[in-house]
Amino acid sequence: MHEMSIVSALVEQVRAFVPVDATLLSVRIEVGALEHLDDDVLRSLFGLLTEGTPLAGAGLAVERVPLRVRCAACGTEHAPPDPAALFCPSCGVARPEILAGSGVTLSSIEVDVPEGGE
Amino acid sequence: MKIPLVEKVGKQNDEIAALNRVDLRAAGVRCLNLMGSPGCGKTLLLEKTLEALRGELSIGVITGDLTTTRDAERIARHTKAVVQINTGGGCHLEAHQVRQGIGKLDLPSLDLLVIENVGNLICPVGFDLGQDVKVGMFSVPEGEDKPAKHPQLLLQAGLLLLSKVDLMPHVPFRLDVFLADLAAIRGDLPVLALSATTGQGLGAWLAWLRAFAAGPAI
Ligand SMILES: Nc1nc2c(ncn2[C@@H]2O[C@H](COP(=O)(O)OP(=O)(O)OP(=O)(O)O)[C@@H](O)[C@H]2O)c(=O)[nH]1
Ligand SMILES: [Mg+2]
Ligand SMILES: [Zn+2]
Repeated sequence: MHEMSIVSALVEQVRAFVPVDATLLSVRIEVGALEHLDDDVLRSLFGLLTEGTPLAGAGLAVERVPLRVRCAACGTEHAPPDPAALFCPSCGVARPEILAGSGVTLSSIEVDVPEGGE
Repeated sequence: MKIPLVEKVGKQNDEIAALNRVDLRAAGVRCLNLMGSPGCGKTLLLEKTLEALRGELSIGVITGDLTTTRDAERIARHTKAVVQINTGGGCHLEAHQVRQGIGKLDLPSLDLLVIENVGNLICPVGFDLGQDVKVGMFSVPEGEDKPAKHPQLLLQAGLLLLSKVDLMPHVPFRLDVFLADLAAIRGDLPVLALSATTGQGLGAWLAWLRAFAAGPAI
């Protein structure tokens, strides 16, 4: 249940990007295939942690990023469908360096900025 | 208006971990982050290790637990350089907690800092603490399927310990499956099988630790 840590960090990071006076509409994150994170838990925690703050009401979209690795033995890049079967299709050994599919990335926010105003 | 971003969530943690790393390296301390399930034998192995290396290596321990100070009390029987971090409900240690722990230790007097993470195979994995190496621990009674179920830990580890091998005769555990599954994820990951209760395999572990402690403080 480290979703709480992830979402607290996310909310803090998002806040820094929202222009003053703008309304946050939505947030998009990319979650690596290797992460054990539950999308529903992430979304409900995001709602909970933004409630009563200027970020309240914004939705959280969660996109999964497939695993992509480079073989440290021969350099071949491949996208293993099963994270527990990482043999290189070219040379047969499993010595993967992760290129994508690990960690959580804030990939975009959508904001509504009021017109004119001055 | 859509604002495209590319920012790692949790970069605050990584920034603090980087500070920990700088302090540890400046003091010439090598740091190991030990991760495994609740009860896999982390604390007992550390107790045996502290005894075996007494007078040879100066080892500090930061031990993370949800609420109790029991692990620190056990470790304190073997060294004064121990800090207990209670995470409250937290299922893993974060870099800021280790930073506080480091502040309570006399770093220049240490050769090695071992961080015993909260017993958990999933949550600690993604949180950099400033360590030089992550060491994973699976114990025999957990079953041979742990590598296949926890590739993320193996992908980040520099060493895997298989603990409680004294229990092999008593619980069904297919070592061939364990090793084959591991080879399908990380063919290059060194594995040490050991028992903290009988002492089997401890020599190889101590040799690994000595070599690690002597390694470059870059
Ligand atoms: N048979 C056997 N039992 C062991 C071994 N190592 C630890 N134990 C027992 O396993 C239990 C848990 O050991 P700990 O060292 O407390 O495990 P831990 O990983 O530190 O546990 P948490 O910190 O609670 O996650 C204790 O009863 C130990 O005596 C071993 O090598 N063989
Ligand atoms: Mg313990
Ligand atoms: Zn290859």
